Amino acid sequence: MRAAMERLLDQIEDIRKNLTVKLGMDPVDHVLSRIKSEESMRDKCRRRNLPETVESATEKIYDAIGIRVVCAFLNDVYLFRQKLLELPGVRIAEEKDYIRRAKPNGYRSLHLILHVPEGFYAEIQLRTVSMDTWAALDHQLQYKKELGENTALIVEELRRCANELASTDVSMQTIRDMIMEANEVENTSGGGHA
Amino acid sequence: MKILLAEDTRDLNRVLTVALEHAGFDVDSAFDGEEALTYLEKNGYDLLILDIMMPKKNGIEVLKAVRSYDNMTPVLLLTAKAEVDDRVAGLDAGADDYLPKPFAMKELMARVRALTRRKTVYLEKTLRYGDFSLDMERFELTCENSVHLSVKEFELLQVLVRNAGHRVDTDFLMAHIWNGMDNATPEMVWLYISYLRGKLDAVASSITISGEKNGSYMLEEA
Repeated sequence: MRAAMERLLDQIEDIRKNLTVKLGMDPVDHVLSRIKSEESMRDKCRRRNLPETVESATEKIYDAIGIRVVCAFLNDVYLFRQKLLELPGVRIAEEKDYIRRAKPNGYRSLHLILHVPEGFYAEIQLRTVSMDTWAALDHQLQYKKELGENTALIVEELRRCANELASTDVSMQTIRDMIMEANEVENTSGGGHA
Repeated sequence: MKILLAEDTRDLNRVLTVALEHAGFDVDSAFDGEEALTYLEKNGYDLLILDIMMPKKNGIEVLKAVRSYDNMTPVLLLTAKAEVDDRVAGLDAGADDYLPKPFAMKELMARVRALTRRKTVYLEKTLRYGDFSLDMERFELTCENSVHLSVKEFELLQVLVRNAGHRVDTDFLMAHIWNGMDNATPEMVWLYISYLRGKLDAVASSITISGEKNGSYMLEEA
């Protein structure tokens, strides 16, 4: 399973390099990966009433391999998705686009379950830096449940922040498009002089 | 809704106060300009009715003081002087309307309703168009998803909704949304149109904004 993950990570690194050349900038901020520990695998089997076997781990549990690709811009997320689906032998088993339809609490991310040639499933989470920042704070909140009467206010305010960050992601993408468009015009007219 | 009435003629002040209260308004009554300013320091109002000819400070002076600290509350001036120059001076000092004395109570009440109506229209909680809605309190654009809008994006989309069905050009938008600010350029209008297109797309709305850079714009089904 580790070998399968390493191979997938190498492929992700290749996609990243190719896109960096194509876009003139690195579309990825950082990549995180983990293999689910034996303990949490067993927990998950018990919760889902699955036998605690290797078969369950590889065929029934989709997030034994987990990879998170954090992108700079919104469009990079979908560009990266496209490149992942073009990998040989990789098949998409499930897709949840929480960017197009954010969760009610404001969570945004694109979740892909990929079936890789080694026969394993891998969960890939694609998101922007802003979405990642929000998720980090929201994650902290899960461990501080003793907020008392402020809970509703904090949940609502976090949702509002998620909607502001989502808005900023779109604006930053628009600005990048405008810059790239300007560069293209410049390059085209520059080419005429050469 | 709360109204401040400043009128030095005791009988008229009394009659107006009773009539406005009867119509459902909360009324504070002042009898000279200084008393009116004391009330204004303590409270906010939805409308000010100021007589021009008052002791201590006249209505125009009160009006200028109010506008000098950016208070944009609607102001109705009552004027005994029917001179054109006085009316012009009042309107130029920031009054929204004036009523020459003597006036019919019916007309005063109609003008009060007109001046307070705009505020209730602004207090609509949501504005809807096609498949999206604009939350006026949270500044959020919602369809399948929600995003927050900046002040200028919000105003721009509102203008497009209120002008639905016909095109608004770049000059109109620069004048109405950027109020002729020095840095308002057709490029800026275009950038904000582009932001809104992106955000309509982000909430998966079927509505988009048609139009080219430097051109005129309109909401349309994508």
